[in-house]
Amino acid sequence: MTELKIAYSPLNDAALILVAEALGFYDSEGLNVTLIREANWSNIRDKLAYGLIDAAHILAPMPFAAALGLGPSMGRIIAPMALGANGNSILVSAKLKARLEDGGRLDTSLLGSARLLAREVERRRKEGLGRLVFAVPFTWSPHHFVLRHWVASAGLDPERQIQWIVVPPSRMADMIKDGVIDGFCSGSPWPQAAQLNGHGEILFSDPDYWTLKPEKVLGVRAAWAEANPEATIALTRALLRAGQWASAPAHREDLIRILARTASVNAPWKAIELALDGSGLTFDPQTATFPWISHAKWFMGQMVRWGLLTPDHDFDQLARHVYRPDLWRDAAAPLGLDCPVADEKTEGGQAAGWEIPAAPHNIIMPANQLFDGGVFRCV
Amino acid sequence: MAKTVNVLIIDPDEARAEQVAEGVRADNGDQQTVIRQERHFELRMLRDFDPDMVIIACESPDRDMLEALQVANEQVPRPVVMFVDRSDDNATAKALEAGVAGYIVDGFNPKRISSILTVAAQRFAVTQGLRKDLDKAKADLAARKTIDRAKGVLMASRNLSEDDAYKALRKHAMDTGRPIQAVAADILAVSDLLKPGDSQ
Repeated sequence: MTELKIAYSPLNDAALILVAEALGFYDSEGLNVTLIREANWSNIRDKLAYGLIDAAHILAPMPFAAALGLGPSMGRIIAPMALGANGNSILVSAKLKARLEDGGRLDTSLLGSARLLAREVERRRKEGLGRLVFAVPFTWSPHHFVLRHWVASAGLDPERQIQWIVVPPSRMADMIKDGVIDGFCSGSPWPQAAQLNGHGEILFSDPDYWTLKPEKVLGVRAAWAEANPEATIALTRALLRAGQWASAPAHREDLIRILARTASVNAPWKAIELALDGSGLTFDPQTATFPWISHAKWFMGQMVRWGLLTPDHDFDQLARHVYRPDLWRDAAAPLGLDCPVADEKTEGGQAAGWEIPAAPHNIIMPANQLFDGGVFRCV
Repeated sequence: MAKTVNVLIIDPDEARAEQVAEGVRADNGDQQTVIRQERHFELRMLRDFDPDMVIIACESPDRDMLEALQVANEQVPRPVVMFVDRSDDNATAKALEAGVAGYIVDGFNPKRISSILTVAAQRFAVTQGLRKDLDKAKADLAARKTIDRAKGVLMASRNLSEDDAYKALRKHAMDTGRPIQAVAADILAVSDLLKPGDSQ
């Protein structure tokens, strides 16, 4: 048995890590795993850097930000798989929601709601009110990029016309209630829990922004992976098996039960259930766990786009340094999963299901479309 | 006159924060130390209190709030991990392991960093140890109650003395290779089923 410590944050998208433990997949892959629940992402980053843990549930942009010198080091990290797709929602205060409505009706398309947001920003400017405040759980997070993209789609300057703050998801609902923030983006089930408690309303969720949006990955210390190459594949396989189990509709109740445990996500059953239905969260190992190099480049592109990073870096090399589709294939092939031939794909522009070349059989991918029709091509 | 040092301690556990504060005060010698303890971190604390160092419990989700400030601001406390040389400094790793992280403003005496962090880590470790002892004491007490009640059941149903009831429990535990409180719990579970009047 290979010993290892895996850390996670209390969110629905930690499901694969929790399911593999509950169903004994680690055990059957020869791994003796200790799970550690962490209260914030900074702990996870530092514990990976100091070798206090070997692997973790991390926000996909984290290893790139750290490797690019944005904040403290994380040590060398590899990501052999994604831990699913989608799962976040954007909630706004009841007050802001009312302001966005036209005669009691709200244009719920993202382009529509962004235009109404721009109108509200202009009203506040004219009346000499302060900027709207939006909260995200971490600077280097998909949440932050999604909100900035949405705001900018109506011609607003996200840097100067909106105020951003980082707040832990567990405190976001209270801050909405107290009027400290006007909206937030968070992983499920926190926006759903806030809405159930009457602290605002969900405006949109990940799939409204991008039908198959990358989110969390499995981060493994490169030094550990190099010392334990077989165990790294075994770990990836245990989590892919968890994905097969978790994406079967028949296992839904058991999945909620595992997530609702105090030691796991510790949120109300109803909120977890609402989030599984409404946030587009998918664990399908075939279509939502491959570590696409194009996802890695998209994240780094967002850092440049929003002025958080200078563009003079070798993004292709860094993407391939962290994301490891080769390891995914080694782990997935014995499970009978089809392995994509290419490491990259064009992101966006697919309004319906589409086929990608894979072995032994091609994969029918779900729609892959961004709200503004944008298409991201790797050159 | 020595400059005062402002230390902000963020810890949801107030008793533990008090322990850390005491340790930092004792460690700081001649320097005048002003300590403020809070359960949650709020942005206004930076303006109101102007800390030279922030010590935050890793179990506080607020650590990410504090962390994010450095992206937009120069004059805010930054993570200790960015100042120390990882190769020869164990204080940061030990502190993390004990469950505490530190943030300091630029210009803070570097020699003091690891000293304060080490003190904080020690106090965290002690509190953790006390918590474990308390949990164990609670578990022991619960086990003793279970055993006492099981003895009572055996004394009544098999007409045994207290001593003999205990011996019977212990023998069964040894024969089956299980803890004595587990055997006692089984007896209680079964005795509930056998209560007169319950069966129809």
